Amino acid sequence: MRTVITISCLLLLMISLSWISGLKPPSPLKFTVPKNWPQPHYDFTKNPLTQEGFLLGRKLFYDLRLSVDSTVSCASCHQQFAAFSTFEHNLSHGVNNSLTTRNAPALQNLAWQKEFRLDGGINHLDLQPLMPITASNEMGETLAGIIQKLQQDAEYKKMFTAAFGTSLINTQRIMKALSQYMLMLVSCNSKYDQVMRGETSFILPEQLGYEIFKQKCSSCHKEPLFTDLSYRNTGMPVDNTLNDYGRMTITGNKKDSLKFKVPSLRNVAVTYPYGHDGRFFSLLNVFEHYRKNMVVSETTDSLLVHKLALSNYEIGQLTAFLNTLTDTAFLKNPLFAPDGYTVTPSFIHVH
Amino acid sequence: MALISSFVISNGHRRTITIRFKHKVGSQDLVLFNKTYTNPFGEPITITRFKYYVSHIRVTGADQKERTLSAKTFLVDEADSASKTLIFTDDGAAFQTLSFEIGVDSILNVSGVQTGDLDPLKGMFWTWNSGYIFAKMEGVSDSAHAPAHSFSWDVGGYKSPSNAKRSVQLSVPASLTASSDAVIVIDADLLKWFNATHTLKISQHPFCHQAGDLAMQIADNYANMFSVAL
Repeated sequence: MRTVITISCLLLLMISLSWISGLKPPSPLKFTVPKNWPQPHYDFTKNPLTQEGFLLGRKLFYDLRLSVDSTVSCASCHQQFAAFSTFEHNLSHGVNNSLTTRNAPALQNLAWQKEFRLDGGINHLDLQPLMPITASNEMGETLAGIIQKLQQDAEYKKMFTAAFGTSLINTQRIMKALSQYMLMLVSCNSKYDQVMRGETSFILPEQLGYEIFKQKCSSCHKEPLFTDLSYRNTGMPVDNTLNDYGRMTITGNKKDSLKFKVPSLRNVAVTYPYGHDGRFFSLLNVFEHYRKNMVVSETTDSLLVHKLALSNYEIGQLTAFLNTLTDTAFLKNPLFAPDGYTVTPSFIHVH
Repeated sequence: MALISSFVISNGHRRTITIRFKHKVGSQDLVLFNKTYTNPFGEPITITRFKYYVSHIRVTGADQKERTLSAKTFLVDEADSASKTLIFTDDGAAFQTLSFEIGVDSILNVSGVQTGDLDPLKGMFWTWNSGYIFAKMEGVSDSAHAPAHSFSWDVGGYKSPSNAKRSVQLSVPASLTASSDAVIVIDADLLKWFNATHTLKISQHPFCHQAGDLAMQIADNYANMFSVAL
């Protein structure tokens, strides 16, 4: 009893102290798990979401100063209108006219992912931004360099204080804020979702496509995330300029040669090009790959050793279904873009 | 007399234990950049970076019970002289053995971004394949058939069977712990990286940049580099 009283007294004192010093505690931000979805993997107790943390993360995500020459932000390659993948680029563009070796993945429903990158090399969402920020063919900056730049900005001092209680800027706080922003990128309101919630119904081609999908695609592109988060070789031969063997570069195990993470098909209509190196420029290219062009090798997935039989009819119905996975509310949610930020429409995209 | 010694064994005295790491190349002191040494295979080496993580520092007395001086993980960096001296306080009981781990606990490799010595900005973290670099020795050598004749041995790995964490146990003579404030100087000989449990030549292995067999061998070797200076 006495401890309870002591603790509540302390809490009261802390609250009044923060009030006196003009410091408001951050306002909690609610993370809603969509109905019938699994529990998220991210441990929110280690990084409680707050409005202030989210806003700080959003500012960082769009800040060009996170790159060495202020030309590239996270948002440069993760564009909201493309479900936070890159519109039209097969490989991502980095500083100094550099190219990466991979296609930028869409950023959505990250709270459910255990591992990041197409090879799963990164084991925590908070660690993920370290790589693009420091890689010489992405943003090319050092962590110390970013901290120095942010420390000189009074606005950031205010925002770090609002989110974390003091104006200290360190790697951990930058990454936690970025995670808070990225965790809120939940796509769960496509037509498919509305149909599943009983709010509307598929038209006939969509319904027929969904039946074909469940029969031929959903063992890997598992609902409701439309990925089972596993690593598989889908018969894409290695590109001899990229020499990207995927998961094997992480595990060092030959059995993982040419395996890449199964991408989610949510918002698939806007995330082209497809494939880990963006080699497919349309869904039709992907279907042609699965039914004709696959190169079956030792590590090709057991479900695909005979390729994937698809008729023209099936491709048509599947396309109709896949278009129901586009979540316009997500692609246009103004909360995900900083104030005054104009989302570049795709037709004036600058290369 | 009995009274006094029991007083010391019980926790009456606060004592400071100072551990000072001294980096050597054979019998010579390590100088970064400006000095060229020769490794056991006659390969010339100039060292540009030398740092490693030390954790779970503990002492053991005659009762064989280990007492932890600190559960923290420290980065010892040749380029940062303050990092080479660690100071602890304990209850003053006698000890004969000093033990520590070279490396970072696996839990800290999978729990997001850490702060202080474990902040990824210290340059001891693999961003593309998450995990700490436990120890690194980098430099140039004419024997390195690599761009700019560079060689870099970055050792890490927290997953079985490539866990590169290694334990070190050193006997500490009574003379060093007798005074109320013990100062223990630990020599770390870089030449052991090349030749101890395994023979590793720069000409054969200019780079180690990931967990795996080579990292395990280098770790086996450098686990032997420490000795208490007398």
